[in-house]
Amino acid sequence: MIGFEWLKLRRSNRPWIALATTAFFLALMLVGFYTYAQRETGGAADFRYTYENESYFNGLTFALYAFYYGFLLVLPIFAATEGGVQIAGETASRTIHLGLARPWSRGAIFRAKCVVAFAHSAWLAVFLLALSLAAGLLLVGWGDLRLYPGVLQLTESQQFLPQREALVRFGYVAIASVLPLATTVAFALWLSTWTRSAVNAVGVAVALYLVMFVISEIHFFRDLQPYLYTHYVAYWRELLQERIDWSRVALDATRLFAFGAGFLWLAFRRFRLREDP
Amino acid sequence: MLIETHQLTRRFGPRVALRPIDFALAPGEVVALVGPNGSGKSTFLKMLAGFLRPSDGRVSVFGVDPMRARVDVMRRARFSFAPPPLYDRLTGREHLRHLARGVSREEIDRALDRVGLGARADDRVRAYSFGMRQRLALAQALLPRPELLVLDEPTDGLDPLAILELRDVLRSLHRDHGVAILLATHLITEVDALVDRLVLLHEGAVLFDGTPDGLRDRPQLRIVADRLDVAAEALGGRLVDGAVVLEAGALDLETVRARLAAAGARLHAFGEVRASLEEALLARLRAERTHAR
Repeated sequence: MIGFEWLKLRRSNRPWIALATTAFFLALMLVGFYTYAQRETGGAADFRYTYENESYFNGLTFALYAFYYGFLLVLPIFAATEGGVQIAGETASRTIHLGLARPWSRGAIFRAKCVVAFAHSAWLAVFLLALSLAAGLLLVGWGDLRLYPGVLQLTESQQFLPQREALVRFGYVAIASVLPLATTVAFALWLSTWTRSAVNAVGVAVALYLVMFVISEIHFFRDLQPYLYTHYVAYWRELLQERIDWSRVALDATRLFAFGAGFLWLAFRRFRLREDP
Repeated sequence: MLIETHQLTRRFGPRVALRPIDFALAPGEVVALVGPNGSGKSTFLKMLAGFLRPSDGRVSVFGVDPMRARVDVMRRARFSFAPPPLYDRLTGREHLRHLARGVSREEIDRALDRVGLGARADDRVRAYSFGMRQRLALAQALLPRPELLVLDEPTDGLDPLAILELRDVLRSLHRDHGVAILLATHLITEVDALVDRLVLLHEGAVLFDGTPDGLRDRPQLRIVADRLDVAAEALGGRLVDGAVVLEAGALDLETVRARLAAAGARLHAFGEVRASLEEALLARLRAERTHAR
């Protein structure tokens, strides 16, 4: 059944639209990063193909910024889309009846859809990070990773990671970033079981994600933050500290997992009990 | 019984889609569920498939509640709904390969050939006409061969030749393999020759449940004359579609001639007719609507 879901996903335009949009986003980031660096250094920043860039504005910084913004603002849209269309889309087109008219349990149908939606989102996260690194290292230049406290909240104190260590940490980030996206997929899947329109499911999922993300990022609302899963989606930032606080990583990952499992349970319960006229 | 319903009722909010229905389908039986659009046929089939819950009453298919044991039902039954829900970006063959898992490639090819889609099996469904989609839906319903086949409006969009082929396929399934078939349709003439029993649904209620012959009225005496209203009064008959209609054998030719002559009317035609199934069906529906008013 997973093969069937995978075939349906491959034949849809969604993966290609997601990849093309991600690549376009990176191209914009590259231009934006270049012009910003030029302005900040008074035109002294020097970008060439594959050379060692001693400045703060090197390929690793670019990769991190590109991934950070892409992960928080671009990938959730595609994760929500994938979760949203899986059930609502098939309900709207009534193709859900094809599966339900076969000796397949609702559990098996739901599981196959989850696996494919999770895999698609994970693949997008890895793609974004790999392309960010490739673009950064090839077009901006290599060097060590330096982080400073700032509005992005990437670190609370100055950090330094040698290039080799930074690349290993990006590997950790790639793995860790799958969990927040899976939680967004689960959230969208839950909404998807309530609506009979894919557009509504995706629209509501994206809108709610953005609302929760904005609320959870504003310090003023810190009492609400523990109740919003979006507060934990960038938990992988900890993996880029000189000394990783693994207990904090594990705690945030556990919280995200709990949110994701809760959304999935609600989604499956609704899918199992609902009618399909 | 393969299917049994007892006082099966379904409401959508205040609207009653199905009034209490008692229905049974025996192994090897071929039954047509007939009724105009909106009469409750599809709702009834979706309750058999376990997609909808009864508001009242109960339904069992192969002895189990399809809402609770849908998987058990679907192991032995195949459903095809109208209009056929299919994936536009997949080919016909891909549909069958994935929906009918465990069925050999040869069987899939045979099913596609059987519904006349062999040559277009590798085209994407979005390039199919409505009739071709209908054929593909039928092909998937044939794989693997079920004990019970439930088809919703299977002749919609099919050309006359395809309808003949569909009848042959269904007849062969029934005759050679004893498959029980439940067809929901609003075009009874297309399955008339195939079915053992008709169930006529109207506004969610069963108006008739019996053999096709039982639905047809007894033969009628049909008399055409000039001055029809005078003739109807003289003969004591009803005026229907430009003729005076009486029960067959009520009057002989000489008596009719004599009465018409006495009333000043002239006889043009005299004969016994038997209503077609469709006419009988429409007559029932008209009578029901008149009664309802």
